[in-house]
Amino acid sequence: MTQTADVIVIGGGVAGLSTAMQLALRGTDVVVVERERLGNGSTGRAAGLLGQLRGTAESTRMLMDGVEIVKDLEQRANVEIFVQTGSLRIAETPERKREIIDLVEMGKSINFDIDHLPIDEVSSKLPYMRTDDLLDACYCPTDGHLQPAELVSAYIRIGKSHGVTFRPNCPVGEMIVEGGKVKGVLTSEGPLYAPVVVNAGGPWSYLLAELTGTCLPTAALGHCYLTTRPTETNSVDRLSPAVRDRHLRLYTRPESGGLIVGMYGEEAVEYEMKDLPVDFDMSAMTTRRDDIHVARLIYAAQQRFPWINERTPMTITTGIMTFTPDGKPFCGKVSEIEGLYHCAGFCGHGIVQSPTIGVIMADLIRKGETDYDIAAIEADRYFEIPGFQDRAEVKTKCYDMHAGYYGRVEGKAD
Amino acid sequence: MNMKILVPTKRVPDTDQKIRIRPDGSGIDEENLPYVVNPFDAIAVEEALRIRENSNDEVEVLAVGIGSDDYERELRTSLAIGADRAMLIECAAALDSWNVARILSVIVQREQADLVLMGKQAVDDDSNQAGQFLAALLDWPQATFASKLDFTENGLRVARETDAGIETVVVRLPAVVTTDLRLNEPRYASLPNILRARKKTIERLEFQQLGLEIEPRIQLLHMEVLSTGRNCIRVSGVDELVVRLRDEAKVI
Repeated sequence: MTQTADVIVIGGGVAGLSTAMQLALRGTDVVVVERERLGNGSTGRAAGLLGQLRGTAESTRMLMDGVEIVKDLEQRANVEIFVQTGSLRIAETPERKREIIDLVEMGKSINFDIDHLPIDEVSSKLPYMRTDDLLDACYCPTDGHLQPAELVSAYIRIGKSHGVTFRPNCPVGEMIVEGGKVKGVLTSEGPLYAPVVVNAGGPWSYLLAELTGTCLPTAALGHCYLTTRPTETNSVDRLSPAVRDRHLRLYTRPESGGLIVGMYGEEAVEYEMKDLPVDFDMSAMTTRRDDIHVARLIYAAQQRFPWINERTPMTITTGIMTFTPDGKPFCGKVSEIEGLYHCAGFCGHGIVQSPTIGVIMADLIRKGETDYDIAAIEADRYFEIPGFQDRAEVKTKCYDMHAGYYGRVEGKAD
Repeated sequence: MNMKILVPTKRVPDTDQKIRIRPDGSGIDEENLPYVVNPFDAIAVEEALRIRENSNDEVEVLAVGIGSDDYERELRTSLAIGADRAMLIECAAALDSWNVARILSVIVQREQADLVLMGKQAVDDDSNQAGQFLAALLDWPQATFASKLDFTENGLRVARETDAGIETVVVRLPAVVTTDLRLNEPRYASLPNILRARKKTIERLEFQQLGLEIEPRIQLLHMEVLSTGRNCIRVSGVDELVVRLRDEAKVI
């Protein structure tokens, strides 16, 4: 096994793979160590919805730039990653209508292609969706979703051709730190040395940070979505727009002739990653037929898509997401240890953030700076801040963030 | 015709998970192992529910399990999915298919069931015997490996999946029918049903009350992990693949 590198990336999900690829494209010698298979973990379960218009202009810019990066990856790797279906936000309450009005106003102010869509046009775009209770909707034609598996394969293929070494089935047991500087990692296959280590461990990232005594305030929360199987009566066009229904806490997009419907519910299963078996494989996670979260998901889905019920032929995908206290990831250094970077906590949006995050991480590591304003996602924003150091407190804050993720009404609602 | 359908269900390790054998080979390591209703039995429960839903008469669906207290959870799953009643036969001893069938035959007679629907086999030991034994003990007709059920004037019409093709038989009721994979796709529990199921009582019967002695006919001696023996190599192209398949694997 290669003994030294310029950078060791821990974690073969989209965050680590994108970072590794961007570093390699800039001439850095990178090794990716992954505890299981590349692209497994949260990445392997993701739905990949891409809604570019976010709460701030900077996060919107990051996502829009991400689309350009993906288009370049598609050419280089000759795969289709971005499926431009367009996206809808719908409102069935006055508060949510207000939210949409604000969103359209904000989007237009930064020349983002978004506008209100009359309800009858919503119906014709999505004949399989209930619309008679809607008060308003807005449509963004440039949104869609990224196909996670294709994105992963592009990162790997391009990374490999630029010299990235991949070490799957190679869990990290220890960080090698000397004199306040990171020197490498101790893996199941022996030590690996590099002056820079990137913690892209997803839900495991807080455990990796703990190896150096660093507190990374993330929590691992369960999430599930359903994918209907297409039938003669219910098939969904592959270019049907994605929908976000914050009132019912649902998101949805087409998938192979069926429909993905996922939910950010009020409650989620909390996981303590260190209590899971050492060979835990997220792809083997299953849900019981009487799982309350699945039942709530199906119940909500049925409100918007009346043809979906507990008897509908479907598969349930379940996995673990990494949440943070403010819904933003941790990207960069925490001041304690030199050479140790973090890149985790994407709160269910890792796929779509990963293209630009890889660029940001590569620039931070190579140049110490980035063209983006990363104040909102800096890894050290909770460093030594009271209330964010203790696991129990951190978990509560992350859990509350998740609970309010779709439920909270945003904007100037009066 | 009012009808009572009895669905024996077995609690089995979730075979999607990694199953480990105890180092001494005495059985599987049950620590932290998640359990589910045997998938073929879940199909049987689903079929019973569909019969109830499509019938104009009273149909009662009774899910029966044999095992320890822990089994309550899986029986509650059957209730949440829609079974009317669930019954746990408390029995700590390990049972072979013959003894399972003997216990079930007593329950079927006590309950005066009209139809027994059960999985063709359990996915843990793959014995594929309990249904056949049960039919013999009851002296009822049986139809195994069902992939389609229809009620006709003459009885229950069953399409059976055999290696040679689909065989269609008619059985008079009462009968034992064992279910195959393609019979249906089990549903998820609905939210109202889960909440309702929480309040339901699971009926309990101690094995001793049945007046049976366990007579084991099969004894588990040893269990070991089969090495997959997979040895993958990367070939440079079709030509090399053909050479290796012909000269090394000798399969073409």
